[in-house]
Amino acid sequence: MLKKIDLENAVGTELSHDITEIRPGEFKGPAFRKGHTVCNEDLCHLQKLGKNHLYLIDLEKDEIHENEAAAILAKALAGEGIAWKNDPKEGKIGLHAARDGLLRVNTAALAAFNMVEEVMCASLHSHTPVRKGELVAATRAIPLVMKRAPVERAAAIADQNGGVFSVDPLRQAKVGLVITGNEVYHHLIEDKFAPVLTEKVTTLGSIVNGLEFAPDDASIIADKILSLLERGCDLLLLSGGMSVDPDDVTRQGIRLAGVSEMHYGAAALPGAMFLMAYIDDVPLLGVPACGLHHRITVLDLVLPRILADEHIGKAELAFMGHGGLCKDCDDCSYPHCPFGKGL
Amino acid sequence: MESFDTLLKNSAKAHGHLCPGQAVGVRMAMLGCRLIGLDEPTCRDQIKKLIVYVEMDRCTADAVAHVTGVKLGRRSLKYMDYGIMAATFVNLETDNAFRIISTEDARELASLYAPEISEKYPQQLEAYKRMPDSVLFRVQQVQVEIDEFDMPGPTRRKVTCSRCGQVVRDHREVVQKGGPLCRPCSEGAYFNDAREVNWPDMNWTPQTDNPHSVIGGQQKNKSRKTEKQLKE
Repeated sequence: MLKKIDLENAVGTELSHDITEIRPGEFKGPAFRKGHTVCNEDLCHLQKLGKNHLYLIDLEKDEIHENEAAAILAKALAGEGIAWKNDPKEGKIGLHAARDGLLRVNTAALAAFNMVEEVMCASLHSHTPVRKGELVAATRAIPLVMKRAPVERAAAIADQNGGVFSVDPLRQAKVGLVITGNEVYHHLIEDKFAPVLTEKVTTLGSIVNGLEFAPDDASIIADKILSLLERGCDLLLLSGGMSVDPDDVTRQGIRLAGVSEMHYGAAALPGAMFLMAYIDDVPLLGVPACGLHHRITVLDLVLPRILADEHIGKAELAFMGHGGLCKDCDDCSYPHCPFGKGL
Repeated sequence: MESFDTLLKNSAKAHGHLCPGQAVGVRMAMLGCRLIGLDEPTCRDQIKKLIVYVEMDRCTADAVAHVTGVKLGRRSLKYMDYGIMAATFVNLETDNAFRIISTEDARELASLYAPEISEKYPQQLEAYKRMPDSVLFRVQQVQVEIDEFDMPGPTRRKVTCSRCGQVVRDHREVVQKGGPLCRPCSEGAYFNDAREVNWPDMNWTPQTDNPHSVIGGQQKNKSRKTEKQLKE
């Protein structure tokens, strides 16, 4: 229960919540923290913040303060690889990445959580690569005092499958590269693919364990794949030959190598002719030529997920469609943009 | 209790089709029984401990009745015409009662729980299988006072309507100055213009051939006996 008192009668009482101060362009944060004992010197400051009355809280048995609610919610929302402190600021608790990796969001559970009245949680998109310490989500109860039951129900929803948010570490893969194409193999042009792919792989913490060049010959491409697997590569990237021309035989080469699963085509642009295949548990990524021209392509969406040990199949490639169109901005801010984060 | 899949399959068969309401009803019944401490509600030692109030006459109600085994004629199934997707499960032995309400949120969230399915009802059906109980339902612990005349068991009272002579059971009569009345005589009924009629084959019994007659309509598949009678 909340009791409203005049400011002049508030001296000696404890603040029941943080009081926010906003100085545009300069500061936004708590000017006074919950529990602060109001003294005469505070009155002028509080009046400048527009406070002529304060609340005194007398909680009923079934009621809960926003700070306690925020802690219950944060605990339930946080899964593996998420850290949070029970130190609500203005009733809000931030969830942070406890390690480098890939943010995973159970979007259905998050939506269900937010359908519960008087609680909220907002986050970054699922599949966003994050660094240790980075804020990935924040939660709070909306009112200062609320009933305990909806908070606990929201927490139960959040706690399904071990929390709504997790940060999966990226494994260090031993990557094998196969650069296909007669023009490169016969030195008619200089290969530009290997440096591009190498940089993407190493940026994510993996290493290039082998590099092979192959002409437009399916059986030779298959041999190169098997050779890299024998050398211990546990992730293969193949470039070129992914299109529909008669010389594009990389797909046949991958199939000849004995894949257990293969999906050609992704609902992302650039990257429609992307290929995803598996030989046993080893993923093979067929990177179309757009990977040479565009800074960010479907490969940047899939590679972190593969390194986070996600199985990418037909559905995952299809679900990229919503938000899968890159705007090709002059000032690219990926991964802080909606590309590839529709679902 | 059987598995969810088995209960859903059998419930759909009893109801006539598999639909999202069946999934909700089966899960509602499973949760309700769990909350009041009955694990085999259709078994002989538990069947008399349970009363269920359903607040809707929709697919979900049939699923709840199927899983719990409650029946209108056994007075263990009570129908409250609220139009609310909810049911209350009462343990008569402990007096524990929980009202389970199917959330509207669940309908809104179906596309997120089954995004790979685009058609509305198949998507809802799959989503309602996947959602946790916390998303699918809200639960209230409630007190249910059951009148002795609403309890299962033999008829406790019979009176005769002072206007039409109809026998009224279980204290459903309305007492007015002139004496007890049946509800149609007292309050009006869901039907109008009631008048006694005679009908073809009035003397039929189960020991005779089925006459397949329709009152007010054309006679179809008349029994041999009826045809013979007509010729004569």
